[in-house]
Amino acid sequence: MITEQEVTNVLRTGGYIADEAIATAVFLAIRMEKPILIEGPPGVGKTGLAQTLSQVMEFPLVRLQCYEGIDEGKALYDWEYGKQLLYTQLLRTQLDTYLAASANLREAVERLTAEESLFFSENFLVQRPILRSFLSEKRSLLLIDEIDRSGDEFEALLLECLSDFQVSIPELGVIPARIKPLVILTSNGTRMISDALRRRCLFLYIGYPEFDREVAIVRTRFPEICEALARQMVDFLRKARELNLRKPPSVSETLDWAQVLSILHATQLTPQVVANTVGTIAKHQADLEQVNDLARRVLAV
Amino acid sequence: MERIITRFVTALRERGVRVSPGESLDAVNALALCGVGGRESVKALLRLTLVKNVNDIPAFEEVFDRFFAPAQPLPSGAAPADLLAAMIHIVEGEQLKTDAVRGHKEEGPTLLVDEEVTADELKDLMALEETEGETAGVEIMVKLDGFREKKQSPPSDFYMKSPPTTVAFHQGVTKSAVAPFTPEELSDIQEVVSRMLVRIRKDVRRMKEMENRGKLHVIRTIQKNYRHGMVPFLLSLRRKRKEKPRLVVLCDVSYSVSHASRFMLLLLHTLQNRLMHVRSFIFNRELAEITAMLRNMPVNCLLETIDRGEIVNLDDNSDYGNVFLTFKKKHLENMRGKPAVIILGDARNNYNEANEWALEEIREKAGYMLWLTPEERESWQRGDCLMDLYGAYCDRVEVVRDVDELSRMVEDLFYTLYDHHDTRIWKQARHRPKTEEPYDYRTYYTRGKTAAPAFDPDVRRQW
Repeated sequence: MITEQEVTNVLRTGGYIADEAIATAVFLAIRMEKPILIEGPPGVGKTGLAQTLSQVMEFPLVRLQCYEGIDEGKALYDWEYGKQLLYTQLLRTQLDTYLAASANLREAVERLTAEESLFFSENFLVQRPILRSFLSEKRSLLLIDEIDRSGDEFEALLLECLSDFQVSIPELGVIPARIKPLVILTSNGTRMISDALRRRCLFLYIGYPEFDREVAIVRTRFPEICEALARQMVDFLRKARELNLRKPPSVSETLDWAQVLSILHATQLTPQVVANTVGTIAKHQADLEQVNDLARRVLAV
Repeated sequence: MERIITRFVTALRERGVRVSPGESLDAVNALALCGVGGRESVKALLRLTLVKNVNDIPAFEEVFDRFFAPAQPLPSGAAPADLLAAMIHIVEGEQLKTDAVRGHKEEGPTLLVDEEVTADELKDLMALEETEGETAGVEIMVKLDGFREKKQSPPSDFYMKSPPTTVAFHQGVTKSAVAPFTPEELSDIQEVVSRMLVRIRKDVRRMKEMENRGKLHVIRTIQKNYRHGMVPFLLSLRRKRKEKPRLVVLCDVSYSVSHASRFMLLLLHTLQNRLMHVRSFIFNRELAEITAMLRNMPVNCLLETIDRGEIVNLDDNSDYGNVFLTFKKKHLENMRGKPAVIILGDARNNYNEANEWALEEIREKAGYMLWLTPEERESWQRGDCLMDLYGAYCDRVEVVRDVDELSRMVEDLFYTLYDHHDTRIWKQARHRPKTEEPYDYRTYYTRGKTAAPAFDPDVRRQW
C-alpha cells in the first residue's frame, strides 16, 4: 500500500523529480492497473519516467520501440517456423514408427491431428515484448515508446492487450497476463492517436517543467553545480524556449548543458561561455545564431 | 461525490470536451483510491482521468476553476448548479454570436447550376441566345457553366463572345478583412484536413493493395524463405513503388484573395511530407518561394510575416505576367518530374503585360495545371481580369468560394494525381465494393491462346 507522497519520494531517489500530476498518474496507474499515455515535446523525460520507475520499483523493463509498419509478429508473438521445420525433420523416423501402427491413411491423419498441439505449443512460440511482459514472473513495466510512429492497425491491435491484459493466439486460445504489468505509452504527438486508445489510458501531458522543478532536476543530477549557476542556466533556457527556435531546448538539453558546464568548471554564465557550449542547447544552424544573440542581450554585464 | 463528478463532467461536455461514461467512472474510482487531498491533487487526478487530449486541457482548467471556485465558498450543492446554468448561458451566447457571423458571411451571390444540360439542349440554348440576344444571356451562361464543368474543356469561343450585361457588377466574395487565424479556426481547419487525410490515406492503401495483388517476386521469395528450406512461408510480392505526387503552388497574396490563399497554404503545409512533395510560392508583383519557411515556422507566424509584407511587397499591384516570366526563368529548370501546377488567384493583372506565352511554357513542363479563382464567372470579362486568356492554357479552371469547396478541390486533385491524372478509376474504386475475380490456375497455359502441352510421361523422364 503506497501513497502519492511515497511515489514522489521513491522517484526522487531514482533522480526523477516528479510534480503533482506525474506522481498522481503513477500512483493511479499502479493502483487502478490502467496504462498511462504520456504526451509532450521531445526530451521532457517521458521515456525517462518509465526507466526510472522500473529501476526504483524493481519492475523489469520491457521496451517496445514503435516504428512505421510494426505488426503483431514484432510486438506480440511469432511462430518459429524454422524450429518447427527442423523438429519435423528430426522427428521423421519417430513419426514413421508412430504412424506405422495405424491401419490406413485416415487413421494416420487422425493420430497426427491428435498430436498437432505439439507443434503449436509455447515451445515454438517466440515471445515478443508485449507477450513477454504479460508472462513475466515478476510484475514488469511495459514501455511502448513513440506509439505515434506506428499505424492505425497497430493501435487497434493494442486495444485488446491494454484493456483486458490478454493476448489472443488463434492456435492456443486466449493467454491472460500472469501479473498485469504497469504499461506506459509515450507519444510525441506527430499524429493524432485514436480516441479508442486514449479512452483506455490515463492521459498525462508532460510539458516543460516550472522554474523550481527544473532547478531541482539539475541540482539532483549534478550536485556539483551550485544553486546560483543552476538558476541562471534554467532562467536562460526558459528565455530561449520563447525564441521560436526550430528545436527548442528541452530538459534533456538542460542536463547535457549542466554536464558540459560542470566538466568545464564554469561558475557563471557569460556570453563567451554560452558561445563555447551552444552546441549542446541548439541543434540547428539558424538556432545557434539566435541563442548567441540572446546570450549577448541577456547575459551582458 | 458521484453527483459532483457527474455535474462536473456535464459542465465539461457543455464546454465541448468529450468525456465518456467510462472515464467519469474512472474518475470516481480514482478519487475513492486517492481520497480528496489538496485542490491541486484533485485537479491533477481529474485531468488524468477525464481529459484525453492536449487541446482540451485549457478548457478543462477553465471549467475546473469556475466549478470549484476557491474564492467564494459554496454554501451547499445548489451553487454549482447556478454556476453551471450561468456557464451554459455564456456558452450559448457565444454560439449565437458565431452563428450570426457565419450567417452574415454566407450572404452573396450563389450560382445555381442545372446539372442536366444535354448537348441538344445546348444547341437550343445557343439558338435562343441568338434570337433573344442580351436579355437571356445570363441564364444561358449559367447553364453553359454547368455544361462546361461536366466536360472540363477549356473555354470555348462563343462563351467568350457573350457578355453578361444584365448582371450588376459585384466584387469578389472573399474580400474579407485580413486577420490571422484564431486558435479555434486553426483547430477547425486542422480537423477538416486531418479527416481528409484519413480518407485519402485509406483509399491510397486500398489502391496499392489492388495494384500489388498476385504478382510474385520469385527470387526474393526464395531468398526470404531460405531458412525455411525453401518452403514459401513468407511471400514477397512485386511492389510498384509509386512516387509521391509533386505539386507546385503559386498563391496570390494580394488583398483580394488573401483569405483563400491562407487556407491553401495551411492545407498544403499539412499535406507536405505526408502524401505529396509540395513547393509553394507566393506572389504579388514579385515571386518568392516559401517552401522552406513553411516547413520550419509555425503557420501563424509565417502568415503574419507575409501580412507584414516582408516576403513580397503587399502594397504593389499583382502582376501575373511578370510572375510567370520570373517563374519560367528561375524555377522552371529545377522542376523535377512533371509536377502539377496549381495557381490560386483572381487573374487581375492590373493592365500589365500578360505574357501568356510564359504560362504556356510552364504548362508544357507540368503534368497538370489547375487554376483556382475566388471570383465568379460573370465577372471574368470585367476590367483587367485575364482569366479567359490564362484559362485556355489550364487543364481546369475552378471557382472556389469557401473553405469547403477548396478542400474538396484539393482532395479531388489528389486523386487525379495519384492515378495518372485520371479520376475515373478512383471514383469507381471508391464506390464499388471490392470484387475479386477468382484466379484460375488451369488457364495458365492456355492464356496465350496456345494449346496446353500434353502430359507426356516420356518427356518428364528425361529430366
